[in-house]
Amino acid sequence: MKYINDPGRMQIEIIKKTYLIASIPILYSLISGNFESLLGFIFGLVISTLILRLRVINIQKALDMSEGKAETFIRNRYFIEYGIYFVVLVVARKNPSLNFLATAVGLFMMKFTVIMWAILDMARGGLNKKLEEYKDLKDDKIEKGGK
Amino acid sequence: MVEFSPQVIDTIIRAAALLGAGFAMIAGIGPGIGQGYAAGKAVESVARDPEARGNIITTMLLGQAVAESTGIYSLVIAIVLIFTI
Repeated sequence: MKYINDPGRMQIEIIKKTYLIASIPILYSLISGNFESLLGFIFGLVISTLILRLRVINIQKALDMSEGKAETFIRNRYFIEYGIYFVVLVVARKNPSLNFLATAVGLFMMKFTVIMWAILDMARGGLNKKLEEYKDLKDDKIEKGGK
Repeated sequence: MVEFSPQVIDTIIRAAALLGAGFAMIAGIGPGIGQGYAAGKAVESVARDPEARGNIITTMLLGQAVAESTGIYSLVIAIVLIFTI
């Protein structure tokens, strides 16, 4: 990953990529006129973005604490975030203008993007390695042929 | 053979669904413990090598984002079980 040393930049990149991928289902539900799914999806996506931001702040705070305190702090914050997820999903279930599954998918979009990014990065790394090996093999053959 | 009335069967189904939702919520505890443990180790790593702070924050952020998904899966299943029946 390109910006692994810069958390701020990485955060922006994750959000950009997530919204880029999310534009496909958003456009699809807009065109098909399924506004419940659209609203649910956007609701989940916005909450997931805000929780990512919250998590970065929490991690930065935790790294200034002692080991035991950081452990307890992050654990407590996780349960608070879990509570937020619970409220969001219950609201999506109860409100007839929001689609529950679309909200759940919206919440998962950030994780999906991170996983896809990591997989593509791994695949790209593997492909580059193979290409270099192939180039080296080709150069060796040319050298042998020249001799 | 014992025959149950529809009301009793309905109650059993509701009870089983709520019990299932409760069991599903157990899966939400694991990521919390794991994230806390990862945070502790991250603090240890930053203390050992303060220059790698940015790298550690990013790795931890990505790890936590992915680790949390199992908790949300269980939450979604529990809410479906609670509200559908």
